[in-house]
Amino acid sequence: MEHIYLVMIFLFVLFLLLGTGVWVGLALFGVAFLGLELFTTRPAGDAMITTIWTTSSSWTLTALPLFIWMGEILFRTRLSEDMFKGISPWMSPLPGGLVHTNIVGCTVFAAVSGSSAATLTTVGKMSIPELRSRGYPEYMIVGTLTGAATLGLMIPPSLTLIVYGVTINESITKLFIAGILPGLVLAAMFMAYVALWSFVRRSEVPDIGKGTPILDKIRNSRFLIPVLLLIAVVIGSMYLGYATATEAAAFGVIGSLVLAAGQGSLNRRTFIDSLLGATRTSAMIALILGGAAALSLSMGFTGLPKALAEWIDQLGLSPFSLLLALMIFYIILGCFLDGISSVVLTMAIVETMIRQAGIDVIWFGIFIVVVVEMAQITPPIGFNLFVMQGMTGHEMGYIAKTAIPMFAIMVLMVFILIFFPELATYLPENIRSR
Amino acid sequence: MKIDNRSGRLVRRWLDRLYLLCGAFAACCLVAILTIVTMQMIARWTGEILPGTSDYAGYFMASSTFFAFAYALNNGSHIRVNMLLNALGSNRRWGELWCFAIGSVLSILWAYYTIKTVYWSYRLGDISQGLDATPIWIPQVAMAAGSVVFAISLIDNLVRVVLFGTHSAQPRGIDGE
Repeated sequence: MEHIYLVMIFLFVLFLLLGTGVWVGLALFGVAFLGLELFTTRPAGDAMITTIWTTSSSWTLTALPLFIWMGEILFRTRLSEDMFKGISPWMSPLPGGLVHTNIVGCTVFAAVSGSSAATLTTVGKMSIPELRSRGYPEYMIVGTLTGAATLGLMIPPSLTLIVYGVTINESITKLFIAGILPGLVLAAMFMAYVALWSFVRRSEVPDIGKGTPILDKIRNSRFLIPVLLLIAVVIGSMYLGYATATEAAAFGVIGSLVLAAGQGSLNRRTFIDSLLGATRTSAMIALILGGAAALSLSMGFTGLPKALAEWIDQLGLSPFSLLLALMIFYIILGCFLDGISSVVLTMAIVETMIRQAGIDVIWFGIFIVVVVEMAQITPPIGFNLFVMQGMTGHEMGYIAKTAIPMFAIMVLMVFILIFFPELATYLPENIRSR
Repeated sequence: MKIDNRSGRLVRRWLDRLYLLCGAFAACCLVAILTIVTMQMIARWTGEILPGTSDYAGYFMASSTFFAFAYALNNGSHIRVNMLLNALGSNRRWGELWCFAIGSVLSILWAYYTIKTVYWSYRLGDISQGLDATPIWIPQVAMAAGSVVFAISLIDNLVRVVLFGTHSAQPRGIDGE
């Protein structure tokens, strides 16, 4: 790297703009512009707009607003009540009882929504008051919910994975399918933790009486069954090769509109609200993606990604230590930046590194999602902490503390992923193509 | 001052209408994407082929995106790092001033270059490389128009921060304070 000073100016401006609160997408655009001006003689603006246009008008990206819309529609239905009613009877016989409702509820909603804030709100709206009234300890209610809501990012549809896929030009379908098993394993580990808690601190588990008869259970979950069917169709159609990610998303939108109508919660108001909500969220993500596309163009000219990749190559780091270093890096970054921003911001540099080290990019997508999930529950900028604070009125420090066991489980998950990569690679390698 | 106030309110009303209108247009584009994708699926099941539909879906994606930028800004949807701004406390106004000033400059650059790109696509008669063979400037006009409105909204907010110390890019809902 001959122009080390220029690179330093470049990075300084990047952190200055981001740190002082300039909107992430615009900040990336500005730095990209500066980079192209510093490192090339090319007309910066024109090259950037061409890249931004290509990214923002790509067919792959159309899955994004549709999946957001699907989540927004279901978010506005009575799903959250039905979910508690439907899931809780099945959970009460398990050790740890109804606390499992938090985790299973999050897993189910994560499969219709790609955002962890929506997952947290939907599940928490019902489960927090219900669990409190039955006398479960507050720290378990808050901690498990804060942690499990991050599943929204991993279990398909996942906005983070769409953004990752668009950034590095990989198949969204493959990434989605790759997220299924790790997501379920993570959910199972959360549940194992709850069970463990119920054995260790037996006195804290309230007695909730005997279970409901099987017929009542089925009757109570009759509202849940259509949702599960919708999930099966959306994910199944991708896995069996009947539909691309975008088509599955369109199917999901239509399905959830039908569901909402059947439930009687679809009216003009909720339809428009869901549509406008989806429009705003996708514009927000698209601005970041546009800025990131420009940045990665510019980053290529700085020589930084290549130099870093070569440097790591020279260090002779094993993939294992490289991944550990990246994990720590992302956790720190995640303290200040939201998940999607940290993915797009770093992929401009990290992609070269990963490909050179021979790490599977689909697998890495899942890795990065787990790591970014952790960032959602670490202070000072954990998004789930904000949402939880708004819902329960607890202080952020308290919420973060209750979520520490969940954080530890996610760290464990990273190691499981590293030692059993098949967890993420087996299913996508066996997608049927038609 | 009185007259200024009245015309100011008039401008305010029209600008807010403009943002909302752009947001509504963006929402319509989203519905258009859904329609196109659904049509494409139905066509495939019935053995027909609709050439270029995925390109059209992409164009609507871009239109929806760019038109919603300003609308999303005024609803506080765009993500930023709030830590320093919060730490500024009562001096937050100066932080906002900096952000909107930088934001205005960058969005003007962005808008300028999109207009230039559209102009050259038009002059050179660029055709889409997909099956749709659309003259590329037509969908790109949406990108330019949306970017201009985005720049206007940032300048609008900058002016408000300077004059009154307020702006409308405050986050609402779950992440609001």
